[in-house]
Amino acid sequence: MENCEELLKKFTSLDGARLAALDKAYGWSLNVPELRQAQAYFKKIKREPVRGELESIAQTWSEHCKHKTFSGPVKFSFKGKVKRYKNLFKETIVKATKELNRPWCLSVFKDNAGIVEFGKDKKWGLAFKAETHNHPCAVEPYGGAETGVGGVIRDILGVGLGAKPVLNTDSFCFGRLDSKEKLPKNALGAERVFRGVVEGVRDYGNRMGIPTASGGIYFDDGYLLNPLVYVGCAGLIPTDKIEKKVRPGDLIVSIGGRTGRDGIHGATFSSASIEEETSSSAVQIGHAINEKKVLDVLMRARDLGLYDALTDCGAGGFSSAIGELGSETGAHVRLENAALKDTRIEPWEIWVSESQERMILAVPPGKLPALEDILNSESCEYCVLGEFTSDGRLLVTFNGEAVADLSMYFLHEGVPNFEKAASHRPPKISDRPPKASGKSHGAILKELLAHPNICSRQSVITQYDHEVQGGTVIKPLQGAAGDGPGDATVIWPHSATGNTGDFSGFAVSHGFNPAVGRLDPYQMALYSVDEAVRNLLCSGAEVSRTALLDNFCAASPADPAVMGGLVLAAEGCYDAAIGFGAPFVSGKDSFYNQSKDAAGKDRPIPLSLLISATAPVDDIRKAITMNFKEAGNPVYLAGTNKRGLGGSVYEELYGSGNNYLSPVEIKAAVRLYAALLKAIKKGHVLAAHDVSQGGLAVTLAEMAFSGGLGAELDLAAADSEKGLSETELLFGESPSRLALEVVKEKEKDFLKLVKGLPVEEIGFLSEAPVLDIRLGDKRLFKEDINSLKSFWKRELL
Amino acid sequence: MIIEIWTKEKYSGSEEAGLISRLTHAGLDLKEAKLSRLYRIEALWPKKDFEKLADGLLTDNITEKSSLAVRPGFKGFYRVEVWLKNSATDVIGESVREAIHDMLGRSPSSVRFGRAYYVSCSSEARLKSGISKVLVNETVNIFKIETI
Repeated sequence: MENCEELLKKFTSLDGARLAALDKAYGWSLNVPELRQAQAYFKKIKREPVRGELESIAQTWSEHCKHKTFSGPVKFSFKGKVKRYKNLFKETIVKATKELNRPWCLSVFKDNAGIVEFGKDKKWGLAFKAETHNHPCAVEPYGGAETGVGGVIRDILGVGLGAKPVLNTDSFCFGRLDSKEKLPKNALGAERVFRGVVEGVRDYGNRMGIPTASGGIYFDDGYLLNPLVYVGCAGLIPTDKIEKKVRPGDLIVSIGGRTGRDGIHGATFSSASIEEETSSSAVQIGHAINEKKVLDVLMRARDLGLYDALTDCGAGGFSSAIGELGSETGAHVRLENAALKDTRIEPWEIWVSESQERMILAVPPGKLPALEDILNSESCEYCVLGEFTSDGRLLVTFNGEAVADLSMYFLHEGVPNFEKAASHRPPKISDRPPKASGKSHGAILKELLAHPNICSRQSVITQYDHEVQGGTVIKPLQGAAGDGPGDATVIWPHSATGNTGDFSGFAVSHGFNPAVGRLDPYQMALYSVDEAVRNLLCSGAEVSRTALLDNFCAASPADPAVMGGLVLAAEGCYDAAIGFGAPFVSGKDSFYNQSKDAAGKDRPIPLSLLISATAPVDDIRKAITMNFKEAGNPVYLAGTNKRGLGGSVYEELYGSGNNYLSPVEIKAAVRLYAALLKAIKKGHVLAAHDVSQGGLAVTLAEMAFSGGLGAELDLAAADSEKGLSETELLFGESPSRLALEVVKEKEKDFLKLVKGLPVEEIGFLSEAPVLDIRLGDKRLFKEDINSLKSFWKRELL
Repeated sequence: MIIEIWTKEKYSGSEEAGLISRLTHAGLDLKEAKLSRLYRIEALWPKKDFEKLADGLLTDNITEKSSLAVRPGFKGFYRVEVWLKNSATDVIGESVREAIHDMLGRSPSSVRFGRAYYVSCSSEARLKSGISKVLVNETVNIFKIETI
């Protein structure tokens, strides 16, 4: 191939093949039509580009920054019909939020995170955001996870004029730890990735002084080569600090870490599949202490009004952050002023480097001295890179030489987008009665409890500091011995508000069901939202004020089947949001999660949608946990047991031949949850736990051994669909169900509140440590709860 | 100068058990394994300065010991030394460099943090394979194996 520098000099006249070759050599991940669009721009302004300009375009137009797939046009063909979307994201997820138009949504889909109203005095907003750091974690799990956590914390620091982080969340998907599959060269084994990711999340979150207290871990060999690492953060912001506006003349100030050659091309890396030889420069090691200095500076400077706007340096580095902040004004950046880690760096590399722990502030010149005082007192490095202008032009120079001189409008609005084909072929579904496994129900229950997707996460959770800041009211581990699996975390953010007289808190939970997605992507979205809302309810949160985050991860969008799944899941998100009255307030997507396996075959991940949910807890002193509390109290099952083992752990283990999926009935679920919340708020309910992975038997076992109490239960009294088999009753994962412990003395009042709803008493708690479950005259199983717990308590790490 | 620091025998049980468990999981038939932390400090300073840093800054004298030479007592063992590549940010090294400046009033040109593993096993080839599987990531790490 010709010399790249020579090709660059005649960029406007290159043919498609040479454009593609140039793109590959420079690692931009732009396609030929996008490069043609850039060609047309430079033809119009009658000059050839310099490399810094094409690097800026590549960063700004990357999938990571622009979300071209989700916000682009799609043609969806399904069951002989065609539906067209101009912008899939806006026509599903954003549309639901607009239609719901909740007054407590203060900032949605326009900043680094969504913000909802928080607290009794309406002086605070709760900012919430989750994103993924999948590709870096596949290559270097520790550094990838650390920088993922650091990035999402900076999103919270960079929302509005800065929110104070009070909670980190983390949800992971890995290949099975016992996988025997041969890995391709350079791929890391599942255990290695798992251990590295956990250590990275632990070290960054703990060093930042933010509790990591909510999340989940999911194992499936679909993630063997492409692990998913979802990291989230929630923070508190004063409502009068939500709006930000760059003013022409404001100085561009970078604070925090220095700029280096590490992290070149992280944004464009996310638009490509992971190949065997991945450059180490695409991953970094995080420096939490630097970010902590940034946090401390920002909280002081924000309250003194020392800057007009800020954003984080994430993917694309200065290019993306300054380009975004100056998109409506213009900016002149002098890169020779940048604080550097190493002087052996090209000017364009300074411009696009994604070195960590940096934030960009728009500072009025008169306020710089006061800001400098704070920066110096916190030992936080900074540099003044230039100023925001009013000419709508992005001018980047290095000692007077142009690195980039582009129209802001072209940079941000110029990316071409092309209709993507989407289609869906549903798998064959069978609802025949499940084949017998040949094992007793008790033996099956023990195997389910030991399954990696159900067993205890204690060895991971206890590595995280989930107590720092002193506001973790309902903790990830609950129960008599502090080791039971909680449904939601409840945070009392008094460390941010400084108000110990207001007992307002918020709950955070998740819903995640890729096994359901393999059968029906639409139902996957409904199941995930239903699960997340139900988990919130189990802590006593005000579920009528649920706010949601969507985080999609998928394989290549060039595959119509991948796009088809995405369309159905997005439609499911719309219906779920409207049905549950729960708006989406922020979200993110990650594509190209596929790699070649050892045989050279493409290995895509299953379509994965993490729903993160938050809702206020009016009085944190009344929040509840999942473990049984007192012998003699009645146990209730809320919701209807329905047919089908589709997507269940039981089906994965025993292959019963029944993969039917009971659809979520949202209206019925909303009615049920509203009544149960009233009962919880009145103090009638002492424990609540959702029925999800492993089914009802696992839920009851977890409640029993976490509370150290047995139970004598008869499931014949429960509300069940006709024709339900014992296997489906015990181990089916049909949606919208939860088990409850009700205070015996308040049972009458409780029953009044749930009258007409599928809520039935199924038995009583007992001192004897035995879980005895019958179906009418037939005993289904009788097991010692300590024995059940010993199966569940296998260590993952 | 490389300063090597290790946990005293009395307190090192759990970290050694963890190391042995990981290497065993990678298919190694292990007899014994120990680990140390390494600080490579680039500075042309007198030996007594490094001794001061080892003793006064980097070592917890209650639970740890240190040496300016390779840790003694492992004849016949393999010694695996692992470092981050120079292209990777070394957060611990950077922090230690700042701490050295605060202590001595001058900074070394660089500090890098690494680890040393002492392993008694039957085959260097299998050790190399095991180390690659569970202890280093060659995307960001370099390592060497030597026989003591």
